[in-house]
Amino acid sequence: MSAHAKPVATQASPLLQVEGLSTWFPIKKGVFRKTVGHVRAVDGVDLTIEAGKTLALVGESGCGKTTVGRSILRLIPARAGRVLFEGTDLLALARDELHPYRRKLQIVFQDPMASLNPRLRVREIVSEGMRSFGIGASDAERGERVAALLERVKLDPRHMTRYPHEFSGGQRQRICIARALAVEPELLICDEAVSALDVSIQAQILNLLRDIQQELGLAYLFITHDLGVVRYLADRVAVMYLGRVVEHGDTEALMAAPQHPYTQALLAAVPTIDPTGARRVVPVLGDVPSPANPPAGCHFHTRCPKVFDRCRAETPPLYPVAHGDSRCFLSDPAR
Amino acid sequence: MTAAAHASQHAGPASRETAEPLLVTRDLTKSFPVRAGMLSGRRGEVRAVDHVSIEVWPGETLGLVGESGCGKSTLGRLVLRLIEPTSGSVLFRGRDVAALSRAELKAFRKRMQIVFQDPYASLNPRMTVGEALEEPFVIHGVGTRAERRERVTELLHRVGLTPEHASHYPHEFSGGQRQRVGIARALALDPELIVADEPVSALDVSIQAQVLNLLADLQRELHLTMLFISHDLRVVRHMSRRVAVMYLGRLIEVAPTATIFSAPAHPYTRLLLESVPDPDPRRRRRAAVPVGDVPSPIDPPTGCHFHPRCPLAQERCRVEAPGLTPRGPEHAAACWANT
Repeated sequence: MSAHAKPVATQASPLLQVEGLSTWFPIKKGVFRKTVGHVRAVDGVDLTIEAGKTLALVGESGCGKTTVGRSILRLIPARAGRVLFEGTDLLALARDELHPYRRKLQIVFQDPMASLNPRLRVREIVSEGMRSFGIGASDAERGERVAALLERVKLDPRHMTRYPHEFSGGQRQRICIARALAVEPELLICDEAVSALDVSIQAQILNLLRDIQQELGLAYLFITHDLGVVRYLADRVAVMYLGRVVEHGDTEALMAAPQHPYTQALLAAVPTIDPTGARRVVPVLGDVPSPANPPAGCHFHTRCPKVFDRCRAETPPLYPVAHGDSRCFLSDPAR
Repeated sequence: MTAAAHASQHAGPASRETAEPLLVTRDLTKSFPVRAGMLSGRRGEVRAVDHVSIEVWPGETLGLVGESGCGKSTLGRLVLRLIEPTSGSVLFRGRDVAALSRAELKAFRKRMQIVFQDPYASLNPRMTVGEALEEPFVIHGVGTRAERRERVTELLHRVGLTPEHASHYPHEFSGGQRQRVGIARALALDPELIVADEPVSALDVSIQAQVLNLLADLQRELHLTMLFISHDLRVVRHMSRRVAVMYLGRLIEVAPTATIFSAPAHPYTRLLLESVPDPDPRRRRRAAVPVGDVPSPIDPPTGCHFHPRCPLAQERCRVEAPGLTPRGPEHAAACWANT
């Protein structure tokens, strides 16, 4: 991804490499819906995911994390950048050329009820993708595969004749995971996949995702607002703020010593259950500015406790830090 | 400002002997009828709140925690008499709330207020924030127009907004600001008790922390008593002097906050704690995971509701529901295994 990539990185090219991804949404006004400006939901994002590894993409509402996931899958069109999957730029492919890649990249959404067709039985839901990609010679063979997949996500295979509404929230998310796994993907994008679940169920799904990764060697792009769940799964973390990645690096090292003031503030704002931890949380100043009209220079400068003149005028690049990189002038080696 | 003003948030049991609890629920129960199937017409009932007895002392925050469907929000609504109990009672300052006359109930409503999860849904979009804040005074016939306006300005200051915000409409505010408005409105009539039902669950973490600190500050300054309802143990720890844990309608443990987090007695409380995702690098990465799903509240397991998921379940747990038994100072839990 950058010149200072860690030497531990594998020799082979990464599974997914996102370069300079930008997705803008038009702001339309007036009777004729004239475009008067753009929301830079994603503004020059670089990401790398190694095969079999997990990258967490973290940020608050409106930071663009979900738009990154959807742009990678071409569910929404990107304005610029490249999405290299095993070296092929998905954004440059024609629709029919894209089809085989739809199998290799799958997504699990936050709300399983909204993403499961209520009129289909679980068996049909899970085998639909297989049929579309010609997996399994016959319905009987696909049925066997559905049973095996349900077992893998710890559901009773006998329940394959049931409808989505007959399951609990956690079970429905297991169905979504089984459906994604059915087409043998290499990368699974989990977009707030556990955010709607109760905490005890959330832990089950996180552990399931982890077990599946170990068994199948899948890579994950794990999109979440919850810094807590990041540590359970992610090898690396990218923190987004108003369309840009502001800090990126090895999970444990980044969490232990965050370099960007926004990451520091986010971590300090999470209440902890550690009995030795502080009971008072440290809030981040003010509100998140509108992504339609982000502050000049460093987008975080309006809320940053360490702001100085340069931050208001110039956009900081990503500077190398011990665990990865940080988009903050405080990390400028020339400083 | 109230008679409860002498009791601080961290009032210990010693100061209790002189005081009486502000709020008591006795065997409070609420059943909702349900239809078993779309066509069967067979009716059952969900016991959303099942013989819950709690006490909330003046000036303290009692955190009420549990997962979806555990009955925590229903309990909050019963306390405010927004819904009527099936059986049991709610006592406010020793008076049975169900026995209040219409006029008394109106006066009672001034003393108890609620802050909801979604401030957007609880604010009228066609009213300016100033009008929304003035409304409680109008309803309760408090003050002249000028006095009310002044009080609105005061309230806005109190929650960290400015007087200029009074002329704005709810959609012009961010989620955090709207929750500040929701809190200001709850404070308008100088209540003694605030029921806060998931007040920060819809907010981003950086904003959530602001609102939590605001609530904690207000509580200390105004000596408010608070029933703080949340699914998030992290938030509850931050806010509460004591914590009550519910599971499928029943109260299964209650203890001072430090005890709940350092020495929980009920296996469900322990599993909840283990499941909390925590970014703190000192904590273990992998959670000990409770088995199975939360059973349907329509058809809860016999005996102790938690027994099918409990690592310590014995024969007795399948048959007989344990009652709350004392475990230490202000600490009680409902479990056969850990007595």
